[in-house]
Amino acid sequence: MLTEAELSVVSLSAQVAAWSVLVSIVPGVLLGWLLARWDSPLRGLLQGGVMLPLVLPPVVTGYLLLMLLGRSGPLGQAWEAMTGGRIAYTTAAAVIAAAVVGFPLMVEGVRLSVLGVDRRLEQVSRSLGRGRLRTFLRVTLPLSMAGVLGGSVLSFARALGEFGATIVVAGNVEGETRTIPVAVYTLLNQPDGEDAVVRLVLVSVALSLAALLAAGWLARRHGRQHGR
Amino acid sequence: MAVEARIKHSLGAFTLDVKFESAGPVVGVFGASGCGKTTLLHCVAGLIKPRDAKIAVNTRVVCNRPGGTYTPPERRKLALVTQDPLLFPHLSVRGNLTYAPGSSDELESDSGWQIIDVLRIKPLLARRIAGLSGGEKQRVALARALLSRPEMLLLDEPTSALDAGLARDVLSLLVQVKLRLKVPMLFVTHKAGELMALADDCVVLDAGKVVAQGPPVDVLSRPRALGVANLTGVDNLLRLKVVRHDEEGGVTLLDLGGLELAAPLTDAAAGTHIGVGFYADEIMLCLEKPAGLSARNALRGKVISVDEVGREVLVRMQVGEHELLARITPAAAAELRLNTDSPVVALIKTAACHLLGH
Repeated sequence: MLTEAELSVVSLSAQVAAWSVLVSIVPGVLLGWLLARWDSPLRGLLQGGVMLPLVLPPVVTGYLLLMLLGRSGPLGQAWEAMTGGRIAYTTAAAVIAAAVVGFPLMVEGVRLSVLGVDRRLEQVSRSLGRGRLRTFLRVTLPLSMAGVLGGSVLSFARALGEFGATIVVAGNVEGETRTIPVAVYTLLNQPDGEDAVVRLVLVSVALSLAALLAAGWLARRHGRQHGR
Repeated sequence: MAVEARIKHSLGAFTLDVKFESAGPVVGVFGASGCGKTTLLHCVAGLIKPRDAKIAVNTRVVCNRPGGTYTPPERRKLALVTQDPLLFPHLSVRGNLTYAPGSSDELESDSGWQIIDVLRIKPLLARRIAGLSGGEKQRVALARALLSRPEMLLLDEPTSALDAGLARDVLSLLVQVKLRLKVPMLFVTHKAGELMALADDCVVLDAGKVVAQGPPVDVLSRPRALGVANLTGVDNLLRLKVVRHDEEGGVTLLDLGGLELAAPLTDAAAGTHIGVGFYADEIMLCLEKPAGLSARNALRGKVISVDEVGREVLVRMQVGEHELLARITPAAAAELRLNTDSPVVALIKTAACHLLGH
């Protein structure tokens, strides 16, 4: 069984990952929709920007975030001026790091599933008297729910495994930013950490696998409901 | 005016450049595929923003560009029904019917129930979308559009995705919608029969331009573009004066010029003109007027031309003041020995005379 310290690591990881999904779901859905439906030459550029954290080395992403959120960074300074506190090396920074690296998966999940929604259904909705927003909320969003849920689950799974950006911008603070991957890395450098590493690795594999199975199940269920 | 439209709009190499006005109330837009009729409908619906256009529906300007008003589709009160029913798959039949703002109240009202009645929706109310047949889906789509209380219904080939029997069914429902619910319509079609059955006025499009406008029978009997002629399909289109009605005999007699044509009984007043169409296959030819005949029409005429086309023979003849086209087999043509100027009798059953609107 897990020790109390390990349990708190697992629980912190789950919380950080959950928060990262919660903060990215609304902007993720909007951006996914925009990238699917916005006909503009700028779309490619925007899509590239959104996808960047997927291909950048996470350590680089973390460094860029640190430049923004650190004591001398613009956001970090603004935050300090407002609240007197800091963002870097707090749980909030871990959530932000996890959200940023998981964001492309969320957006891509939404984008692909919005592309699968027949645009003519949206046109009919407009001609029946429902404006753009209503049409989005009552037709496009319900019909692309599989992508929203699937994207959320994948970005949750990605957040659970986030290490590179987290270690740079959030550090390794026990109880605040020491998530499962950070804890495993720390334990690997300790002479007696091997058993704990094995236990955390098993938890990590189980959680990730569960998330992937859930994503697949949601997609299949959605497909059945809409007869596709 | 039900519809006034002046539209210039380019899509790639295709340019729609039309100008017409029509009192309707049911306006048919007729043309071959690719003539721009769907583009026109989408401009009226507000789904395409034309570069340069003025569009008014029931005298209400919904688009005046560049520079003027542009009403978004949701505020035009023009409900669109397309070839595919496009029902919302995540909603029930009832959910679809009550989708438009105010349609829940409309569904409970007398006018709403009339819509449900005309379109035979009642048995479908509790059903799931996935379980409906093609014809049922189209009925629900029509009801959904009507329940949004549109000022005009926009129909984009509403029967084209259905097989012949169901297409006839939906067409007769549309005629009911026109007669009983009195909803104005702008509908596009490439089917001459649909135009005849439904339209009061017809705009013919060819390659993005209006080539003819008028009552369907006029427009169809004088096809002004090859694409249109290919679509009409009805070989004989006549516009004849009503002479008198024989109510007991179940026929209306029409003036062919010296001869009378017995058509199915109609309520068109004597002295008015109506359109009649019949297919070349439905005319039987003989040399002498036979005795004891059920067909009401045995019309003496004279052969104008005999043309063998593949495995059939087209016989064009003068009957009264009109020309008729008959299609017979080469064997029959050989036996009758028909030549130019041969006398001939054309036999046409009353039921084969299709009345084409007033």
